[in-house]
Amino acid sequence: MPIPAPDPKQMALQTEDWIEYRSGFPTLVRKFLFRKVPPTGWMHTLGSSLLTVFILQATTGMLLAMTYDPSPNGAYQSIRYITDVQTLGWLLRGMHKWGASMMVILLFLHMGRVFFYGAYKYPRELTWLTGSLIFILTMMMGLTGYLLVWDERAYWASVVAVNINGTAPVLGPFISKFLLAGPVFGAQTISRFYALHMLMIPGAIIALIFVHMWLVVKLGVTPWPSRPLPEPEPQLAPTAHAPRMRETVAGE
Amino acid sequence: MADATRGEFLSLTTVGLGAMIGGVIGVPATAYLLAPVTKEATFEPVFLGKLDAFTAESGFKPTAATYVEDPLQPATSSGLAFVHYTGKKNTDWHAEDAMFVVFSNRCMHLGCPIAATSLGFACPCHGGQYDTNGARTAGPPIRSLDRFQWEIRNDSELWITQRWSTDIYGGEVHYYPVKMPGQPTHTPGPSWIPNVLYPHVTYTYGTIPGPVPLPKA
Repeated sequence: MPIPAPDPKQMALQTEDWIEYRSGFPTLVRKFLFRKVPPTGWMHTLGSSLLTVFILQATTGMLLAMTYDPSPNGAYQSIRYITDVQTLGWLLRGMHKWGASMMVILLFLHMGRVFFYGAYKYPRELTWLTGSLIFILTMMMGLTGYLLVWDERAYWASVVAVNINGTAPVLGPFISKFLLAGPVFGAQTISRFYALHMLMIPGAIIALIFVHMWLVVKLGVTPWPSRPLPEPEPQLAPTAHAPRMRETVAGE
Repeated sequence: MADATRGEFLSLTTVGLGAMIGGVIGVPATAYLLAPVTKEATFEPVFLGKLDAFTAESGFKPTAATYVEDPLQPATSSGLAFVHYTGKKNTDWHAEDAMFVVFSNRCMHLGCPIAATSLGFACPCHGGQYDTNGARTAGPPIRSLDRFQWEIRNDSELWITQRWSTDIYGGEVHYYPVKMPGQPTHTPGPSWIPNVLYPHVTYTYGTIPGPVPLPKA
């Protein structure tokens, strides 16, 4: 008796079952992707656009880090190498640079959408708070990434940014020393910015994205804000002075 | 503890051990991260140039002189000083009729490099303006330009040996330990107020030189 030819669909289903019984991941993915949402529009795509741009930044950033040299004497040379010599280096660097601006723009739009839809209200306060933390961390990514190009503009813009931090009373000088890894712009400043830019802050952002996504899935998407139809005005019971007031107005 | 069940004891032990491990990793990590906050810089004396490179000046045209504090780190320890030759002869930097005034080129708004003009100095970043004494005349800077203490070595070499923040008021130049740009050296009221609000944690010093009258116009 000949062995029947394997059915590809059957094989795929069996593979899925195999993974399902051992991890439950297919169910998790299905619950994440196929969930009920209220009527939504283009405004609701800003969050997933942000996630896409973040993945773009993480991918291009990892690749750029393979060639980049975070040292005062080598940084600019390695940037030149990425841009001018390496295959498609100009493209990856360009994607990272424009993606950074895109991420900030999308963040503002996304926050604006959430604000004007009132989506930060109960029960979604924690979603708003984790989103705010991601916003602050993204700003820090912008600050620390700007220096890494290590040209004149990058250097002086970072000097100005650090000194702005330094103008805060009491803590200011300590914050700027913390950022500079010392009292003045030194050899360690660029490697500190680099470690913050590619390890510490992205790690925190990834962790917060997971919390943020969990909350979005758990609480559901906020529908369009709408005002309930005005109810008919309740008939007031006549009071002792109501007719008198009406008389006064009529008498004038 | 004698009344604790086995489960309570084990969860307490787990939390305690976790806290201990967290401390063993967290305390040194935090200290490592925050250590630069306590670091202080010292200013190493630097050779600026031969005297005749600066003494040709007439009117107000300060000579720009670059220097590198740490030859191993030229990219981060280089600086620029503006040397103004006053036409006088006194080689004591602190005298009223001192031969040179050596200005730092850092704007006291947020630290951008300034340019010398015929009227004094101007900052391209946010429009700060200074007169020929380095005193702020317009724009956002909060105080006058930093100055370098200088001396003449080997009869013909101009060296800068210390950096001072300054403030010009009452017709005098007042010297202060270096503060970062954007921070006031003095405020109305007792002198400890600006030092608490803006601790000058940047440089270590000996005696702070007293005020010097401005040159007569």
